Amino acid sequence: MAEVRLSGLSKMFGTTAALDNIDLTVPDGSFVVLLGPTGAGKTTILRMVSGLDTPDNGDVYIGGKPMAGLTPAQRDVTMVFQQYSLYPHMNVRQNLEFPLKSPLLRTPQAEIDRKVNEVAEILQISHKLDNKATALSGGEMQRVSIGRALVRNPSVYLMDEPLSSLDAKLRSDLRIELKNIQANSGATLIYVTHDQVEAMTMATHVGVLDHGRLVQFGTPRQIYEDPVSIYAASRLGQPRINVVPADLFGGAPTAARSIGLRPEHILQGEGEDSTVNRVEHLGDQTRLHLDYKGHDLITVTDPHTELQRGDRLPIRPNNPLYFDASGARLA
Amino acid sequence: MTDETTARTSAASRRPPARAIKGLSDRAVGWIFVAPTIFLLLAINIFPLIWTIRLSLTNYRANRTTAEVSWVGLRNYERILTDPDIWNAMQATAHFVIWTLVLQVLIGFTLAYLINKKFKGNDLWTTIIVLPMMLSPAVVGNFWTFLYQPQIGLFNYFVGFLTGADPSSFSMIGDVALAPWAIVIVDTWMWTPFVMLICLAGLRSIPDSIYEAAECDRASKWRQFWTITIPMALPFLMLAVLFRGIENFKMFDLVVQLTGGGPGSVTELTSINLKREAFEKWRTGYASAYAVILFVTVFGLASIYVKALNKVKER
Ligand SMILES: Nc1ncnc2c1ncn2[C@@H]1O[C@H](COP(=O)(O)OP(=O)(O)OP(=O)(O)O)[C@@H](O)[C@H]1O
Ligand SMILES: [Mg+2]
Repeated sequence: MAEVRLSGLSKMFGTTAALDNIDLTVPDGSFVVLLGPTGAGKTTILRMVSGLDTPDNGDVYIGGKPMAGLTPAQRDVTMVFQQYSLYPHMNVRQNLEFPLKSPLLRTPQAEIDRKVNEVAEILQISHKLDNKATALSGGEMQRVSIGRALVRNPSVYLMDEPLSSLDAKLRSDLRIELKNIQANSGATLIYVTHDQVEAMTMATHVGVLDHGRLVQFGTPRQIYEDPVSIYAASRLGQPRINVVPADLFGGAPTAARSIGLRPEHILQGEGEDSTVNRVEHLGDQTRLHLDYKGHDLITVTDPHTELQRGDRLPIRPNNPLYFDASGARLA
Repeated sequence: MTDETTARTSAASRRPPARAIKGLSDRAVGWIFVAPTIFLLLAINIFPLIWTIRLSLTNYRANRTTAEVSWVGLRNYERILTDPDIWNAMQATAHFVIWTLVLQVLIGFTLAYLINKKFKGNDLWTTIIVLPMMLSPAVVGNFWTFLYQPQIGLFNYFVGFLTGADPSSFSMIGDVALAPWAIVIVDTWMWTPFVMLICLAGLRSIPDSIYEAAECDRASKWRQFWTITIPMALPFLMLAVLFRGIENFKMFDLVVQLTGGGPGSVTELTSINLKREAFEKWRTGYASAYAVILFVTVFGLASIYVKALNKVKER
């Protein structure tokens, strides 16, 4: 329903640049995940798009229209806050009704009830509707806060780590629900998370942020397979990409300073010997901690592996990623 | 030194020290600690209260200690409740309490709302606004008599300036119709800052993020005010009303300084009236009954109010 475009967006807080000249086009109907360590500027971007904060420089466009000076209400966005921000003096139902009760909308009460019940059902909080908003667990508060966004049909959803307090099962349930809701409504969704699985499974696009700069924007596969830097490569993939000096193996280009090895870049059973330090059975995958010429490498192996601590395992790189001295990727 | 410390620590951990005080139990030690407070409470609050109730059933006069004292039963109460002077004092008090509360809450909340907007120098403004509250009521009463002077008073001049009326044509303190308002104005001038401070605490307790959420939920400023600001600040506001209500019910010093209860007795509030009965007319038994009636009234109203306040807080 609406494309979101950020052009040359900058924001300073004192001397820290929370956002540094961000150019980003979020295609209409896409599900964009913003990745980056704490303090990278993710929340700040959402606040700029929503209109809660104004940029020092640059512009936000939604649906091609410049948003400067428009309030959150006029932008037709809705936001799930990192710190929930529920209305503490209302109960859960009143919290969920609040966005629909606008006097201007004149939504009939039956319609409000239907919507609230539907959303409560999806978020599995139907039994808590009459609780006071302060008499909830952290995960319940977080779901109420998601619910407040879902009762509406805005053109842009903004969600700041919406699933961070939930248990693994609920998280995977809601991942699917959110993805469905977004796909069915065709709305654009900008989503902040630290969770790689969320990024890989839900996103149509991923934006990688580093100290207020957008270092890469692309599909999750692009970021994973074709990262522009060590930094971007480290954002996705479990276990994390291994970065070792370029001269550890032969055959690196001359400019290369380091090699990035994901598990699929490490061929087992060929090449030179490494020592197995540890075998971790995680259920869905089995990780090997290897020692190769004094460098630690983590890779995955067959779940039914016979390997044990102290065993020898020959390995060699297979189409690894090469990076120069500054950490930028070599083509 | 280290050895000694270890020895002492282990001795202490073997025996809980509280029980060690000459064989007294924890409970007994506890009683010893609260006993002075309980004694003081009994001596200063409870005993006089009971004594007052006792006196209220007699015709005792404190200036004639040798006279014979006789029980009169509830006659004092009967006479008070049928005395038109006392009903006048009650009415004057109600007028004073209600209007000061209305004005102080309205003005105090508005000021707090404005001060709470982030603007430059709002701390300075807070200090300036709070100044009247820091003065002594006697001083305030005294200098307002000057401000109310028909010939040289600034208040009269100011009203004259605004309305075009002749400043010396009216006397706030001397006029039967104006005097009740004169005391309301002074009390409001003095104590609105107090209400403002409490309201400010209430407004500051509402985090910005709540307003941001409401902003995203498309609530207008008007709706935010009524659905967020007022409900969340309400417990504070009610607390301010409670404090000011009780204070003004027993208002004495300011009004005595300002009008002395006059002209006639139009500003003779119950506490002034009571003081006259007790220490000018020396009708001690009668005044005691009067005091008991006032006490029950304030206590009853305050209890109902505190119940309501707790309900609002629980919501
Ligand atoms: N209101 C503010 N005043 C001052 N500095 C701020 C403010 N808001 C954010 N910052 C700074 O801007 C930077 C980016 O903050 P932001 O909240 O966008 O980080 P984030 O990526 O959301 O981090 P997290 O993952 O921890 O939520 C940080 O360095 C932060 O300290
Ligand atoms: Mg954040």
